[in-house]
Amino acid sequence: MTQRTNFDKELDRLKLTLVEMAELVSANIKEGLSSFLKMDTEIAEANIKKDKLVNEYEQTIEKDCLRIIQREQPVAKDLRFITSVLKMVTDLERIGDHAADIAKMTIFMEKTHSSFFVNDIEEMTTVCQKMIKQAIEAFISTDKEIASAVIETDDIVDDLFESTKAKVAEAIRNKKVDADFALYLMMVAKYLERIGDHAVNIAEWVIYSITGERL
Amino acid sequence: MPNVIEIKNLTFKYKDKIALHNIDIAFPARQVTALIGPSGCGKSTLLRCLNRMNDLIEQTAISGEITYEGKDIYDRYYDVIELRTKIGMVFQKPNPFPMSIFDNVAYGPRCQGVKEKKKLQEIVKKALLDAALYEEVKDRLKESAMSLSGGQQQRLCIARAIAMNPQVILMDEPTSALDPIATAKIEELISDLKTSYTIIIVTHNMQQAARISDFTAFFLMGNLVEYGETDQIFSKPLQPKTEEYITGRFG
Repeated sequence: MTQRTNFDKELDRLKLTLVEMAELVSANIKEGLSSFLKMDTEIAEANIKKDKLVNEYEQTIEKDCLRIIQREQPVAKDLRFITSVLKMVTDLERIGDHAADIAKMTIFMEKTHSSFFVNDIEEMTTVCQKMIKQAIEAFISTDKEIASAVIETDDIVDDLFESTKAKVAEAIRNKKVDADFALYLMMVAKYLERIGDHAVNIAEWVIYSITGERL
Repeated sequence: MPNVIEIKNLTFKYKDKIALHNIDIAFPARQVTALIGPSGCGKSTLLRCLNRMNDLIEQTAISGEITYEGKDIYDRYYDVIELRTKIGMVFQKPNPFPMSIFDNVAYGPRCQGVKEKKKLQEIVKKALLDAALYEEVKDRLKESAMSLSGGQQQRLCIARAIAMNPQVILMDEPTSALDPIATAKIEELISDLKTSYTIIIVTHNMQQAARISDFTAFFLMGNLVEYGETDQIFSKPLQPKTEEYITGRFG
């Protein structure tokens, strides 16, 4: 078979860089929440700085995609692959933004300590991280079944968000939570819910890359 | 859209070598269809079958059916001269006749018996306008066609085909000998021409096929592997062999 060695190497390199970016973004979500749970502004500030690294990854991957399009003029599965990477990188960058947003909540809330917490939020974080990991796994192994599973998992995140909302509302009614804290907590939950949506987008682009079908 | 040419179960042999195996394909009117595939896959052979250019090659055999406007063009009573008038051809290398620009375009109509000077002038002007060459040559129609650049010569050949008032224009790698600017002009011309003509083009340039054609047919070792809308072929081909070929991982 005729090989396009350099082209294939470029595509592999692109894949690797995207995996690195996804790992960084996933770690940032966990760290963002950790800063929030511990009300640790140092972790929060470090986390916000790491978001710049995420943005740099985005720009690097975009540049690589454009260079490959210009040089190799990809078609069919190659074009779908590069188009998907260009779209996925935007979702990863947004996820990174939301991880930093969660860390920013820590800084805003520094003086609003509260014993109230909803464990569902930790669960949301774990599920979101799993979704990102699986979406990237699906991308690497071109496995549309795994990608479909990511899309289904989003229901769990949505349910946890609804459950969090109900618990926070109940706490507000019973005056068991500080009003500011309740607001910030809901914002964190909303950021996580949005992260779940972006993970779904990534999974949908993986499916497009494999099948050419847009969900 | 109606089909101008329909091919059913076409097999073509050069001596003992089968060049085309049981081809079924139809070419829709006023659309550009690109025939792609590696060298020796049969795409040019197929193109030449469409106006019976292969009749000129000895020891060839053809079976199956090719109909043009519903009539079998290989019927023994079919008028081949009339066929080649209606289905014109432009080749890889521009091949103007060694005569003036005007006479090149007027050659076909004159052969058909058009003698009136004014009528010939009208035909030549319209053909040159349609081929997007008129503005460049209107002041030197009596000069030799050989004085034109390669790209101009190729457009002259297109004008020469158009002058016969064809319905279909076959193009066999019409830009492979041209520079990028001349190529772009021919490609634009093809897009303009399809409002009036059905165009079937053989090309080795994948990007060109993707840019200018509405339908694409991929041939391999004399077989039609896949035929479909160009957008589908270049974004989501159904056959693995097509994918391998168009993505350059073929062999």
